[in-house]
Amino acid sequence: MNDMNNKVCLITGASRGLGKALALEFGRRGAKLVINSRPASAAQLAETERTLRDLGVEVLSVVADVSVRADVERLAGEALARFDYVDVLVNNASALGPTPMPYLIDYPIDDYEQVIRTNMTGPFMLTRALVGQMIARKSGSIINVSSDAGVVGYASWGAYGVSKAALDQLTRTWATELQGTGVRANSVDPGDMNTTMKRASDPEGDASDWADPQAVTPIFVYLASDESTEVNGQRFLAREFEQAK
Amino acid sequence: MMKKPAIEFELPTELEAHEPPELRGLRRDQVRLLVLPRNANQPVVHTQFAEIGNYLRAGDLLVVNNSRTLPALLQAHDETGARVEVRLAQRRTESLWDALLLDGRTHIGRSGMRLDFGHDLMAQVAAPNPDLPFLWQVQFNICCKELLNLIYRMGVPIRYSYVAEALPLDLYQTVYAGPPGSVEMVSAGRPFSWELLLNLERRGIHLATISLHTGISSTRDDAIDATYPNYEEEYDLPEATVRAIDSCHEAGGRVIAVGTTVVRTLETVAAQQQGLTAAHGWTRLHIAAGHHLRVVDGLLTGMHEPESSHLDLLSAFIEPERLKAVYLQAIERQYLWHEFGDMNLII
Repeated sequence: MNDMNNKVCLITGASRGLGKALALEFGRRGAKLVINSRPASAAQLAETERTLRDLGVEVLSVVADVSVRADVERLAGEALARFDYVDVLVNNASALGPTPMPYLIDYPIDDYEQVIRTNMTGPFMLTRALVGQMIARKSGSIINVSSDAGVVGYASWGAYGVSKAALDQLTRTWATELQGTGVRANSVDPGDMNTTMKRASDPEGDASDWADPQAVTPIFVYLASDESTEVNGQRFLAREFEQAK
Repeated sequence: MMKKPAIEFELPTELEAHEPPELRGLRRDQVRLLVLPRNANQPVVHTQFAEIGNYLRAGDLLVVNNSRTLPALLQAHDETGARVEVRLAQRRTESLWDALLLDGRTHIGRSGMRLDFGHDLMAQVAAPNPDLPFLWQVQFNICCKELLNLIYRMGVPIRYSYVAEALPLDLYQTVYAGPPGSVEMVSAGRPFSWELLLNLERRGIHLATISLHTGISSTRDDAIDATYPNYEEEYDLPEATVRAIDSCHEAGGRVIAVGTTVVRTLETVAAQQQGLTAAHGWTRLHIAAGHHLRVVDGLLTGMHEPESSHLDLLSAFIEPERLKAVYLQAIERQYLWHEFGDMNLII
């Protein structure tokens, strides 16, 4: 199976959970990878990198905090120095905020700003840094990882939910501006997954109801591949997607 | 040997752009544009950069340099503990760079110097560049992606005295920047926004890219700058751009170089071959009045300093006396100079 066809894919937040699952799936399908995590997850990112190399995947790992402007420029520069271009950008890195998760009306301002910065401004800055070389090559795919917390006003999901709603709006606006350029932007709501973040947000929840992250990768593969070149500005629910092989 | 400048004038210091337009309350494409027709019978036009499409035609091709800017200014200490400012100039290998070694404006490089940048990054200074003795070969103790990572973490963009504060690296990028390699911004294309480029594309004015990694524009010593106006710089001209140029000319369109680096790349390759083909190499081509331009029909460039070698290149497009008269007009109208300043379209 080689339907990623040597595409260069940059995945943020790839040290664990969905990001790691995407890196492994893309790598198995022939992609070249730039994987990223924040500094606190550097050891786990190194382990992901080793696993990918053992699979024979060409991979560059870059530790960078996507909420930091200079780190974003470094991440983009190092990725392009290694591979000359980036075909696919998966804006997956996100911050949950303080746990137990407070009401939005109680939310500490500093924590709110950090969640917004990581989950919304980070994808904005990184996409801004990379989309130009996609447009110049007339090809590219931006995939933003969303959440139903960005659609439903759940209590106590405040900053995270706000940021995901904003990220969906980034998707829609980029899609409009990029129409006709060969570059597309789409969102994916992966649903509840059995990850560290989900367990932190819902410590009382039943993990048996939650999907394995690997099980939700097909929609991401589809959106990264050439099968989806005409798909732009859409929001997908991962569990409802059955098309990818 | 010091060369006589193409044109001479004095630049008032108040016309130096100290910051990007975004920090002056403007969009990047709202800087001013001086349109200078190559036909001396046509008038000079003073307008805004966002109006550039009014001076281009369907079928024209904008050729840009997509080299991304590195944060090429590093601080180190030598073996005596003295501070050394290291301005990377040109990468030679994965661990070897030519660099300026400065204390303020004073050149302090010497063979055998040992540099400590902190964070376990060190370097040994070998010999001076044999052709450019003000540049020193700096051999780092690490290479490749590890070296690039530390350059990004520890470096800041090279800047000159008219830019008072260190600015974020992203302000030194064009919107189409690709792989990094330039130690100073490829500034001619900076005013383009994607909104403007996509509008131009819809009007049949297309975009193609080359890559030339710039070196330093000044050694901080006027005598050296006058003696060595052009350094060797690495370029790459892709096949897709060659096809685009050929198609443009066959259809009667004009090839507009966005920046002097594009002129030098295309004219270097054209001079080496019969017809343009994809190429990778190094150029030190100096273009001046009387140079026969084989490929480029027009030029988008910034406002250049007195005695700059760039003015020699502009003289290949415009007769020097006319160029000087237009520059004096620009001064009178208070155009802003340097990398964050206003622009000049010669067409």
